[in-house]
Amino acid sequence: MANIVSLNNIEHQNLKVITERSATYGDDIWYTPTFPMEFKSVQTFYPIFFNKDPATGKFFPLALFGFQNHENLFLSDNKWHAAYIPATLARQPFLIGTQNINEDGIEKQQRMLHIDLDNSRVNAVQGESLFLEHGGNSPYLDKAADLLEAIHHGVQDGDVFIDYLLKYDLLESVTLDITLNDESKNQMLGFYTINENKLAELDSDSLTVLHKKGYLQAIYMVIASHVNVATLIHKKNASLGL
Amino acid sequence: MNRPLKKIVIVGGGSAGWLTAGVIAAEHQTNTEDGIEITLIESADIATIGVGEGTWPSMRSTLQKMGISETEFLTECDASFKQGSKFSQWNKESDSNVKNADQYYHPFTLPIGNNKIDVVPFWQNLVNKVPFADAVCAQSHLSHRHLAPKQITTTEYTGITNYGYHLDAGKFGAFLKRHCTTKLGVKHIIDHVELVNSAKNGDIASVKTKIHGDIQGDLFIDCTGTTSLLLAKHFNVPFISKKHILFNDSAMAVHVPYPSDDSDIASFTQSTAQNAGWIWDIGLPSRRGVGYTYSSAHSTDELAEKTLRQYLTSSMGEAAKTVSIRKLSINPGHREKMWHKNCIAIGMSAGFIEPLEASALALIEFSAKMVSEQLPANRQTMDIIAKRFNDKLLCHWQQLIDFLKLHYVLSHRDDSAYWRDNRTQETIPETLQEQLDLWQYQTPSRYDIPYTEELFPAASFQYILYGMGFITQERQQLKRAEQTKALEALFSDNAERVNMLLSALPTNRVLINKIKEFGLSKI
Repeated sequence: MANIVSLNNIEHQNLKVITERSATYGDDIWYTPTFPMEFKSVQTFYPIFFNKDPATGKFFPLALFGFQNHENLFLSDNKWHAAYIPATLARQPFLIGTQNINEDGIEKQQRMLHIDLDNSRVNAVQGESLFLEHGGNSPYLDKAADLLEAIHHGVQDGDVFIDYLLKYDLLESVTLDITLNDESKNQMLGFYTINENKLAELDSDSLTVLHKKGYLQAIYMVIASHVNVATLIHKKNASLGL
Repeated sequence: MNRPLKKIVIVGGGSAGWLTAGVIAAEHQTNTEDGIEITLIESADIATIGVGEGTWPSMRSTLQKMGISETEFLTECDASFKQGSKFSQWNKESDSNVKNADQYYHPFTLPIGNNKIDVVPFWQNLVNKVPFADAVCAQSHLSHRHLAPKQITTTEYTGITNYGYHLDAGKFGAFLKRHCTTKLGVKHIIDHVELVNSAKNGDIASVKTKIHGDIQGDLFIDCTGTTSLLLAKHFNVPFISKKHILFNDSAMAVHVPYPSDDSDIASFTQSTAQNAGWIWDIGLPSRRGVGYTYSSAHSTDELAEKTLRQYLTSSMGEAAKTVSIRKLSINPGHREKMWHKNCIAIGMSAGFIEPLEASALALIEFSAKMVSEQLPANRQTMDIIAKRFNDKLLCHWQQLIDFLKLHYVLSHRDDSAYWRDNRTQETIPETLQEQLDLWQYQTPSRYDIPYTEELFPAASFQYILYGMGFITQERQQLKRAEQTKALEALFSDNAERVNMLLSALPTNRVLINKIKEFGLSKI
């Protein structure tokens, strides 16, 4: 269970966060949500697909780390074996909460840094400090705050990206057929990707719209990212000693 | 005679008129220059009756083919998901000591192993342990928790379990009208048909309207409801009454509000037997639709009203005494044929029967689909197709009547003349009696139905028979060890699937609210 509280330098003065990557700290996930603004970094290492949010049915882009639940092929020996960790995972144990504030008589919503106190990374003994001795933010915390800001804007932009993909009918469901070195076959269902035939048929006006929004580049990065499925298969074979 | 069929005139709106218009228009490109032209004439004077709040799963493909978004349909027609029918007190009159003692399900999902392996003998050994529908299908288990057949991530028109809809018939007609006229190119004329003009060969040449004058067509579709303006009034095609088999000729209907906005929406049409008929209870997102259909020979209107108000008291309390009730008449039966010359009757103009298995919209869909897919190229081929259409529809009517009657003849109720009369030999069609004789020794199978695209598969007969406690004599020599193993696996797979569904599916209310907020995805 999560225990999410707004972060402050009095109550949480002595908190530390363990930054090691391992299953112990919940990194054994097979995918995490991503957004177009980080696609350039994500597509270097991970395949990007789309999935539906089980609570709303809405599509979101994701970075894939494995082929089944709890399988993260980038995780071993308490390390993450890739130079970039997607922001929605890297942010742990922080998140953004909104708070209504009154500024000069005007009701406003302010984004506040929150922390999940029950996250197993959070402790008082080891890891990165959140606050400096006299109460100022540690560089680590400032970085985390920047990351959350980036996620906030990135996810909002990602929703618009999805709207355009649906508007132009550019998503289709995909079945990944995985054959390992021992000839064992696995099928992965339930994901979606860019419909390249529809993309090829798109008229120049629509392409211009997507280009101006920066989404044409995002679309091609999704397509390009699929070569990383081979990387995943390679890692899977290696993990099984095949 | 060889002139291509180009123009169809539909007389009458309502669900029948607009469904037929939509099905044909979508397939024959009415919204293009070269498509078949369709004009629907609807009288402003005649209110549509708005019967039929339950559909079959077939409605999904019907709507999808018309290019309708399921999200829009669900939202605008106040529709929810129907997974079958639940029958209470059909076998025995109510026993207040034992709650739910007498109830069974006719779910939309076929029994496990259907067509490949006969599960009935194996199940019969379990009779006292598990009701038939619970043992052979997962769907009845979802009823208690009012669960939906799908999740918010499931695409439009796709189900995790099989489903149709409960809908507001009035809103449905208006919704279809808007879709047909704005998207599918159907011409809409609001006018009153006063006269039918005949051609030399006896066909309908045109209909004369009050304001728009004569409207010509190659094919006329009569969707005028029980008036049956073209087929009955003009062509005098005789009516075949079925009242001697199915007695219910009256109905009283009422709209029932929910106690709160988050009240559960039932997944099954609830049918509760009474001493002169049965009460339907249908859950829509915004209200319930409840009605009593009964035999006027076995109950006065006053008694029927009392019965209905009594039923409503359990959910409405004191308000049941004052809620306004609408009275309807049913003339059970159908026309001798539905297609005569260049005129086809679809909907209540062709026939009507009590809504026990919600067959009204299904028959409209079937008729519209067959007309559309078999649309005669010209007048020359029309009579051949008309004959086939009539043969098919008459098969459907006969099976429908047999199937509905089956619900009554199996009953052990002895609390009124209505139930006893329903079991007298002269009220049971020979075709049904023959089946009943057979089913004493063998399970309903596909061999019982000597034609394709049947209205009810053998599985439906199994659900009713064994739901009502009918026993088929077991043949000992059929018990083979490997078969028993396969059957055990099927039954345990079903139990596993039930658990999976119970944990994965949201309630109807939760899903409907989510659909209103987020919509269902098309992919």
